[in-house]
Amino acid sequence: MSVLSLRRVVSPLALCALTAVAGAQDTTARVRELDPLARLSEATRYQVELLFDSARVAKLPTAPLESKALQGIALRADGRRIVAAVRAVFRSLRDARAALGPSVTLDELKSAAGALQVGITTAELRHLAQTRHEKQLTVPLVVLADLVTRGVPRDTASQTIFQLWQRGAADDDFLGLWRGVERDIVSGTAPGVALLNRAREIPSRGPPPATPPSSARPDRSENPNP
Amino acid sequence: MSDELDSLDPYVQWIASEARRSVAVDPAARRRLLEAVRAEPVPQRHSRVLAWMLEPRRLALPPLATAALAAGLVGIGVISGLLIHRDGRLATEQLPSAGAAGSQLPDSVTPRAVKFVLIAPQAARVSLVGDFNGWDASANPMVTQGVKGMWTVFVPLQPGLHTYTFVVDGTHFVADPTAPIAPDDGYGHKSSVVLVGGSSL
Amino acid sequence: MLPDAARSLPAGKAESLGQFGVASCNHVTREPRRWVIANEMSDAADVQRVLSGDVDAFARLVDRYYERCARFAVRMLGNRDDAEDALQATFLRAYRSLGKYQERDKFSAWLYRILVNQCRSLAARRNQRERVFVREEAVLLNAPDRRPNWSGEDEEFVQRVLAELDPLLREAFLLKYVEEMSYEEMSTLTGVGVSALKMRVKRACDRLRARWERIKDE
Repeated sequence: MSVLSLRRVVSPLALCALTAVAGAQDTTARVRELDPLARLSEATRYQVELLFDSARVAKLPTAPLESKALQGIALRADGRRIVAAVRAVFRSLRDARAALGPSVTLDELKSAAGALQVGITTAELRHLAQTRHEKQLTVPLVVLADLVTRGVPRDTASQTIFQLWQRGAADDDFLGLWRGVERDIVSGTAPGVALLNRAREIPSRGPPPATPPSSARPDRSENPNP
Repeated sequence: MSDELDSLDPYVQWIASEARRSVAVDPAARRRLLEAVRAEPVPQRHSRVLAWMLEPRRLALPPLATAALAAGLVGIGVISGLLIHRDGRLATEQLPSAGAAGSQLPDSVTPRAVKFVLIAPQAARVSLVGDFNGWDASANPMVTQGVKGMWTVFVPLQPGLHTYTFVVDGTHFVADPTAPIAPDDGYGHKSSVVLVGGSSL
Repeated sequence: MLPDAARSLPAGKAESLGQFGVASCNHVTREPRRWVIANEMSDAADVQRVLSGDVDAFARLVDRYYERCARFAVRMLGNRDDAEDALQATFLRAYRSLGKYQERDKFSAWLYRILVNQCRSLAARRNQRERVFVREEAVLLNAPDRRPNWSGEDEEFVQRVLAELDPLLREAFLLKYVEEMSYEEMSTLTGVGVSALKMRVKRACDRLRARWERIKDE
């Protein structure tokens, strides 16, 4: 057995053996393993748990908040930062649900919260939600958030994605679009231009909407500095 | 502030003492329970080590997930599941395309094996962390098999959206260059998004 | 008895409760220490017997805990049907995962963890019923005779008042003052920190008191 795979097998078992041996005496270590939040300071943990409570009361999923707290712990982030990050997740989930309505799925909620975090507005989310077709918004929202993070101007990204969604683009289309844009950006194209070019390649899948949406025009005056 | 019972407001004490009264139990319900128990196979002893590993980390399901499970969401929320292999291939496989929603029964709780790959020739060790393993670097260490510098791991993931990142040499957090970027994590690091195919919960 | 007696009472002192306070505590049975220890030992022994194939030993465990769990479930969920479902699910799950029970944990704590979770899942699935309950309460408050008949309907009243609390506050209140657990036990059971639990219990008491203030003045 190579050293690498041995290490992989041994470490979790070593942990178990240690715990079994430690037994009743060393409950603190055991509790810490089973309860990662125990690594937070009392004050931080209290605030974080209040946020979990608020999420429960608001009937929002707590898993994204818990995950954010655990991520902060793994990254050894400052307690205040962890609380701020968890609070940001709570707010974006709450606002996303308000924008998309109560029938939203967990994945849509997560991806919508992500879109809000990169600066997409709740009004834009509501727009998207108005034309649901039979599909989920998850993939378009993931792609939207990614593009904005890569430097596509927010308005361009939002309008383009909205248009494609209106025209019935499928998840495959959005992902193909994303891949193309990413490749273009890497080879030096300005992000907004890359998106507009690739978006033109997507064929319309459904009949055009009866009344064109108000934000139909893509932004042709490209600002290369997002 | 003492929160012992006898220092509470008298009205609250009264509520507590009334609540402590025993309730009438239906003997038929208890009988039904014991019948159900007898119909079960005898429980097996678990080894202590195995028990520790199997103990759940969290007690409560997120409310949305619980409600979705209970409501047995069928048809609604069936997306064109795309299993994105980390080495760049898009695998649409046998999963339905968008628009076929309604005909598919959700395979909601069966995890799918997802392969994660990172090319990092200089790394001594690489780990996968994400919302599915509590961002714990010891949970899913990656291995190079054959090809030096190509780190891989297979992880069973529930269908749905997941966020993850790679940890190189215990200290560097590296997003997956082949995956969509997750919005700023609030900690100054970038992470990645993967959407595992099937029905969404 | 309750409203008039309580009105003249200063807050907090057990001794000055007189007839009202002490009388209603008489029926509370607090288990003497030795009985509790004996219980723990028999629990562990019975678990071992079940794992060796003796199903009757599980029936003994059920007998020992059913009523206490039933009380928690009814107070928590507000009606007997839901409570029975939760109890069934709890004991079945306990039976199935008996192999995972470790002797160093108190059996009652281990069982209660399952019970608390079953109550939570069930409540999440049956949200509708709670809302109906609250509407009935509004009807009661608007009824011409504002003073309910305390003696016969105390339990109903207490149930309604508890149902008004947010589920997590109710749960903390019940675990602390009905199951009489320590905060440490509650923390292990629920996975929530001690400070947050103390805050929930305090909030529950505040809400109950505020409710009383409102009724009192009508």
